[in-house]
Amino acid sequence: MATQLNLSDSDSSDLSDQSVFTRRSNRSLRIAEQERRKKEEEDPFVLALKYFSEVEAGTPATGNDELENNLVRVEKVAFSRGLSPEAISVMLDFAMSLRMGSSPCARVLKCLLPASVVPQEAVVRAIVWLTVRKLPISTQVLFMKWVLTVFDMIDAKDKLRAIYGFIFSFVTDENLCPFICHLLYLLTRKENVRVFRVRKLLEQQSKLGRQPYLLYLLSLYKVFCPELVTLSIPSRMKSGFKNHISPWKSALIAVQKRNDMQVASSISLAFAVRDKTASRKRKHAHLDLPSLNPVTIKEPQAAQSSSRKLVPMQQIQSFAQLLQNMHRIELPAQMGSLLGSSLALQYLDCVQDESALLRLNFWLGYTLHEEFLFCSDGGANKNPEEALQFLNRLLSVQHFLQEGFNSSDAFMYKFLNVWDGSLLRPQILGLLSNIPVIPSSQIKTLLFDPLMQLFFTSSLFFKCGLIECLNHMLLKWLTWHSAYALEDDLDISLNSHTSINITLSGFKDSVMELVHFVGRLASVGLQLEDCHSLLLSFILDFYETVCDTFLKFGLPLVVMPPPGVFYPAFFAADPVSVDRLAFIMHRYKVNLTSAKRQEKVTEQGFHISRQTFREFNRYQVFLVNCLWNSNMCYPEADVRLSDELLAKSGVPQFSTRFDLIHHPAFVSYALDFHHKCWPGRKDTDLNSIKQSKPWNWYLEYLFTQGFDGLKDFVQNSINQRVMMAGDGCDNVTQSQKLGSAPHIKQPLLS
Amino acid sequence: MSLLKPFSKLPDLNTANILLVENEEQFQQNLADTLVEETAVTVNVRLAKSLPLPMENDESRPRIDLVVFIINLTSDKSFESAKASLKYLDPGYFLGKVCFVATNARHASVRTGCLDALRQLAALLHCPLLFAEDQSPEGATSSARRLLTILKVASGLVPNTTALYLSSLTRCTMPPDIDQPSFD
Amino acid sequence: MDNSAKHLLQRLVRRIPASMLKSTLDKWERLTAEKRKSLDFTQSKWIITQELVALCEKSELTVKHITELEMIYITENPNQGMWHTFQLVEPEDDAHSVELMQFKEQFKSHLRELQRNVSVKIKKHTDQAVWIRVAWGDGLSSPNHLKATYVVLYLQTPYVFVNALSSKHKPLLLQALTLSTRHQQIKAANLSGQKLTALRDLLMRQYQQVFPTKYPSPLAESDQSISKLRVEKVQAEASANRHRMAGETFGDGMLPALQSAVFKLETKFKDPTNEAMTQRDEPFICSVKFSSSNLLESLRHCASSGIASTPVTPMLSSIPLKGRNYFVITDNVLTA
Repeated sequence: MATQLNLSDSDSSDLSDQSVFTRRSNRSLRIAEQERRKKEEEDPFVLALKYFSEVEAGTPATGNDELENNLVRVEKVAFSRGLSPEAISVMLDFAMSLRMGSSPCARVLKCLLPASVVPQEAVVRAIVWLTVRKLPISTQVLFMKWVLTVFDMIDAKDKLRAIYGFIFSFVTDENLCPFICHLLYLLTRKENVRVFRVRKLLEQQSKLGRQPYLLYLLSLYKVFCPELVTLSIPSRMKSGFKNHISPWKSALIAVQKRNDMQVASSISLAFAVRDKTASRKRKHAHLDLPSLNPVTIKEPQAAQSSSRKLVPMQQIQSFAQLLQNMHRIELPAQMGSLLGSSLALQYLDCVQDESALLRLNFWLGYTLHEEFLFCSDGGANKNPEEALQFLNRLLSVQHFLQEGFNSSDAFMYKFLNVWDGSLLRPQILGLLSNIPVIPSSQIKTLLFDPLMQLFFTSSLFFKCGLIECLNHMLLKWLTWHSAYALEDDLDISLNSHTSINITLSGFKDSVMELVHFVGRLASVGLQLEDCHSLLLSFILDFYETVCDTFLKFGLPLVVMPPPGVFYPAFFAADPVSVDRLAFIMHRYKVNLTSAKRQEKVTEQGFHISRQTFREFNRYQVFLVNCLWNSNMCYPEADVRLSDELLAKSGVPQFSTRFDLIHHPAFVSYALDFHHKCWPGRKDTDLNSIKQSKPWNWYLEYLFTQGFDGLKDFVQNSINQRVMMAGDGCDNVTQSQKLGSAPHIKQPLLS
Repeated sequence: MSLLKPFSKLPDLNTANILLVENEEQFQQNLADTLVEETAVTVNVRLAKSLPLPMENDESRPRIDLVVFIINLTSDKSFESAKASLKYLDPGYFLGKVCFVATNARHASVRTGCLDALRQLAALLHCPLLFAEDQSPEGATSSARRLLTILKVASGLVPNTTALYLSSLTRCTMPPDIDQPSFD
Repeated sequence: MDNSAKHLLQRLVRRIPASMLKSTLDKWERLTAEKRKSLDFTQSKWIITQELVALCEKSELTVKHITELEMIYITENPNQGMWHTFQLVEPEDDAHSVELMQFKEQFKSHLRELQRNVSVKIKKHTDQAVWIRVAWGDGLSSPNHLKATYVVLYLQTPYVFVNALSSKHKPLLLQALTLSTRHQQIKAANLSGQKLTALRDLLMRQYQQVFPTKYPSPLAESDQSISKLRVEKVQAEASANRHRMAGETFGDGMLPALQSAVFKLETKFKDPTNEAMTQRDEPFICSVKFSSSNLLESLRHCASSGIASTPVTPMLSSIPLKGRNYFVITDNVLTA
């Protein structure tokens, strides 16, 4: 016994203050101190504590009235206010040293309810006592349960970690093993994972069978050092650490409530994890994030703990403090609590602590898995509000960190396969859009197959939601690309924390796959939904991202929309869609021309396939011919019906039906313009707008109506002089720049 | 033994008929109540525990446009019963007029092989496999809406598309084993 | 108050859940209201026990009073421990006229004749049940109150429910019961379970039963709402049949919550693929146990949902029919 606490020369409260007070020679303080001492000497509680610290070894316990009286006194205080750190230290020492035999031991342990914190020295000493004296097994177990219950109230863990190997040696004890494993689980850090320990655990496993607590600890070891643990951990592990029906829980909560202590939050930390791991016994609030509210620590204790090396995360209250203590932060036992604190997230983000992320991922993976994938009741009695808040929190964390977690991504891949498409849709789509780039070899099975089944069997709103989500996903991928791509090295990191790299061409393949996939969804979706304008709008949103990949994100890739998107957008009855299509085509052109230019400048640059140019030109020619030249039926057009058939339809001048005047989207504007231009005229003749001057006025009129896309398109794709003079200078030169394009005919302006 | 045939009867105007087959006869009632609320088309629902259907009301029964097998993944019997019922369907139904709905897929007591076996079956028959949250009213409504989407196509009420076309887009595929996807 | 009384009280308080402690003490009425008020029920159980022991000591209560408290608690919470059922048979002519006072006297004297040092307490519960608490002592030692046997019987009915009876005391108790109720025989009724109320309801047929009729239930008024018009159960008839048959066997409405049923098979092994076993002459002995939180409810569901074939096999239907949950099945006959 190294530091036997002795209360004979100083009273109990002095203990904690020793370090501070002994150094001070302030008189007034000393006087106050003496007065307090006098008062406390008469306090029966202090006397009781004194009794327990001084009682001689071997004093009989049975029939000892003095012991009984003192014990009742301590119990009264414990159950009403909780015990001070010093009292805990004294009582724990009394119990574990078996000074009066083992009979009062359990009773003492049951009343060890901390009012604020538990000094770690006391715990360390008690663990040492475990080996020295023969405690009854039930008492040993009770003690371990107590340690686990108050784990988060232990003021520091450095000394506990220092005796990690010592604690580990108890693993061979069959009775203590489950509890020791749980304690080790809470204490383990990367440097603790050693080959010989792994071997010991495996040995234990072969002896006791595949016990969940051993598997849990091993899986944590595997997280830290995958190379040491070759064991395969089942993906569907049932609760690892049992929810020990701890005799302290209710009493502790009652004490905390009565004291109205701020530490309450740290208690909930301690209980939250137990609730989490024992999913079957859970009744409520299992998805509550353990909170990380700072514990108000008394001055002397803060001084004490700063002399130690580590500062618990809970004590960090401001960003300035975080910066000061950056190098010696002690992470909480429940990694989940990090999600609730922005300071902790700041820490995670800047420190890039691998083990912290590993632990967080580990926790998150299991939580998501147990709560959403394989919940014990199939989600029947689930409080949806709770799940909602949890996922929202996760989403906001991901936004804060600007990246997802491995474990939540893996969860998403699995969840998509059993999703009904409506459960927590906004949150799931949100998480989905955070998924990092998937290599093109896997993207189909992981993402496209499940999404395709969901897309085509779900409602219009789901379709819109999914297209929007995929748009966000693409945007994020492109942003990652522009942020992480190294100039000289084509490798880009998928995610700042993982070592998985992907080559530029691999990344391009993935993006291309994604764009093609959305193209497929969009074409068929529009067909099934009868070209619904809402769906079309989301699809055009997506192509607004796609058309600018080169200029906005520096990705040398241009993918044209499929005909199934282009033509429905062009033939849409609302002018907004046509206008946006024109804008997209304009951006494609700007991107393609600058890509072409760069190709010429840098020799080794990239190559955009002729197919892309050809597609672009075909669309461009179609647009110009339809809108401008009033000639829908030109020989090379994609959409072609025989003239006889069209003639039979009885539509006069069918070829001009989709020019800027007669297009169903614009005809109302044309009429309005006609009315304004020739107010006196009785019979409207829209064709009269086609004359050179009214045509230009009409264009001006359209541009003032807010059709900026159309404006950009007309001004850039159709030669200015054509517009201004209308004397038919060709714009072949422009389109020829974009590869060998078919000849665009001159605008048929008279 | 009577084989249920997809084209042996004439369709009614603006009407779609759906047959829900569920061994446990629980979720089908919820689905039916939501399905008949559709106003754009007349939806008739027939509920059965298993196939074959009794001969007595064969005459009065309308043409069935879509057969839905509801399978509770926590019960082996549910899956076995659906599997046994399949052979009372005319092969013509498997051209886009059969659909599987799995319930309780997220339940902890689902045997590991059960979901895979169902996927395999659905993939083999080229049928879509939907997942439903049968415990909550919202889940039932959303599943009914999805079935309605398929039903409308299967009964020929959606222009531009056919049941076969839709099923080629939505049919079940076997997902890879994803625990921790490795991209190496 | 001696040590054994103290010990008994401590044991008893430990058994009573904290939430029920106050109300149970209130019913006891051995402590004055003032004294009861002085107890702080928010404290830990251990402290309450200490204070209670002190109070009882002050009031000079004895073992007798403590057993009263125990009886109150057990009567209020009978669904604990394992209850076994016995059936009285061959009543004497005057068996029907036995009334409580006479029974009390007879039972006590018969039991005391058989065994010295027994402590017997008899009380009539509100629902006509007679509760008997027997604490057994050896020839020399005083009664052991810590392991008391509880007996519940309804006069003029043949059933007796017994809890915590050791095999040593069984013949003594059964003989005293037979004699004092004016019967000639008593035998095990092959029904046991944790819930006394369920056993009682099952034996006394206190649940809603359905009797088979030739004519199925009268036609229900047809519901003409739109959902009924367009939703049709194709196999409605078969399903209704199953429900009817399940109801005929197990009744409608709430069923007694029986937790288990055991079938002990002593039949010849029959399996054409396994000759060695089939050719053996001795019966193949095995035991099949069905358990559920409410077994009868589960069986009814199995039958009505088609998991179990209908009509229900006599093996299962004899549970409610015969009021038994332990069967020994030998070849050809179903006997106890």
